[in-house]
Amino acid sequence: MLKAVRKAFTTLSLFLFPFTFLMAQEDADFMRSMGKMYVVVAVIAAIFIGLVIFLVYLDRKLTRLENQIIHHE
Amino acid sequence: MKKHWWKALGVVIVLYSFFMGLLTPLKTGILEANPASVRTGQEVMLEVKGYNSFYTQAQNELRAWLKMDSERALAARRVEVVDDRLVKLTFDIPAFLPVDKKVQDFTLILDSPADGASVLPSGVFVTQDSINAALGETAWPNADIANLHEKAAITFPFRNILGETIRNTYYHVPLWFAMFILFISAVVYSVKHLRNFDQRYDEQAAALTSVGILYGILGLVTGAIWAKHTWGAYWSFDVKQNMTAVGLLIYGAYFVLRASFEDPEKKARISAVYNIFAFATLIPLLYVIPKLTDSLHPGAGGNIAFGSQDLDNTMRMVFYPAIIGWTLMGVWMAQLIFRMNRLKHRLLEE
Repeated sequence: MLKAVRKAFTTLSLFLFPFTFLMAQEDADFMRSMGKMYVVVAVIAAIFIGLVIFLVYLDRKLTRLENQIIHHE
Repeated sequence: MKKHWWKALGVVIVLYSFFMGLLTPLKTGILEANPASVRTGQEVMLEVKGYNSFYTQAQNELRAWLKMDSERALAARRVEVVDDRLVKLTFDIPAFLPVDKKVQDFTLILDSPADGASVLPSGVFVTQDSINAALGETAWPNADIANLHEKAAITFPFRNILGETIRNTYYHVPLWFAMFILFISAVVYSVKHLRNFDQRYDEQAAALTSVGILYGILGLVTGAIWAKHTWGAYWSFDVKQNMTAVGLLIYGAYFVLRASFEDPEKKARISAVYNIFAFATLIPLLYVIPKLTDSLHPGAGGNIAFGSQDLDNTMRMVFYPAIIGWTLMGVWMAQLIFRMNRLKHRLLEE
C-alpha cells in the first residue's frame, strides 16, 4: 500500500514537473491573457493539490495503522 | 446523516463560492489610455481600451472626462466608438495647468448607459512647459460629471492591476480566516487540556493545528502565485510574507516538539503550553508588525483592506460564506485525523 502511494506521488510530481516548467516559460503572455484569469485557475489548482496532499498524508497514516493492527493480531 | 449535516454544508458552501466566484462577470473597466502622457495647449486623441465593455451599444451617449479633483474636470469634445473594446476620445487641453507642478495626473472617467461608469485612476499625465497656475485656473473648466450610469447586474468590481484575479479574494483570503478559526479552536482545546489533563483535548488541538498549518501553507502558496502577477515576484520579502512564514515555522515546531516526547502525558502538557505560546506570537506577526511598516499587502501599513475599495457587497456575498465553508471543511479534515489518532491510541493501550 505504501509502495503504491509512493508510486502515485512520483507519478504526480513527474506529471507536474513539465507543467510548471512550461508555465514558467510562457508565463508573461499566457497568465496575463483574459484579464489574468489563469492566475485564479492556478490558485484553485494549488488549493486542489493541497487537498490531495492531505489525502496522501491521511492514506499513509491509515496504512501504518492497518499494518499495526495486522501485527497486533 | 443527522450527525454529518455540517460536512455536507461545508462542501455545498465551498462549491457555491467556486461557482459564484468564477461565473460572476467583472464590471466594465478601462485597461489603458494611449498616449498616457500628453502636453498642454494641444488637441489630443486618446485611444481607450475597455474591458468587458460594449461601447457600440451606446454609440452617441458615451461621455468622457479628465478629472483632476472635485472642482476641475475636462469633458471630451468628441467621442468616437471604434468597436466594443476601443473608443477614441478627443480633448482640447488648455495651455496651462491649474497647478504649480510641471506634471499632473488625471483620472479618466467614461460613462456609458450600457456599461455604467468606468474609471482609470491616474490614467493620463499632462505636462506643461511653463507654470502659470492663475491662468490655468481660468482655463480649466469644471465640467459637470452628473447622471453617471450604473449597470444593473450582479458584477464584481474592476481594479486595474487585479483584473480577474480579484476573484482570488474567495480562494486565498478565506484560507487565512479559516486557519485562524482552526488555530483559535486548537488553543481552546489546549486550555481545556491544561484544566483537566484529558488526552483527547490535546489530540483535538493537534488535529486542528495540523489542518490550520495546511491552510496556512496553501495560503502562502496561493498568495505567492497571486503576488507573482500583481506585485511582480512570487516572494518579494514583503513584511507580511516574511512574518507569516515565521509564524508558520513557529507552528511547525509544535509538531517537532510533539514528536520528541516519549511520555504521552508530558507530551500533551508541554505541547498544550507551546500551542498557546505559538498562537500568542502569531497575532503580532500577522496582524501587528505588518501594520507598523510599509507593505504591499492589503490590510498592512498604509494599505487598508476591507474598505469599499477591496470588497463590495456583491463580493461579500461570496467571501463570507467561503470562510464558513472552508472552516467546516477544515474541521472535517481535523476530525478525520483526530479519530484516526484515537484509534491508534486505543490499539496501543490494549
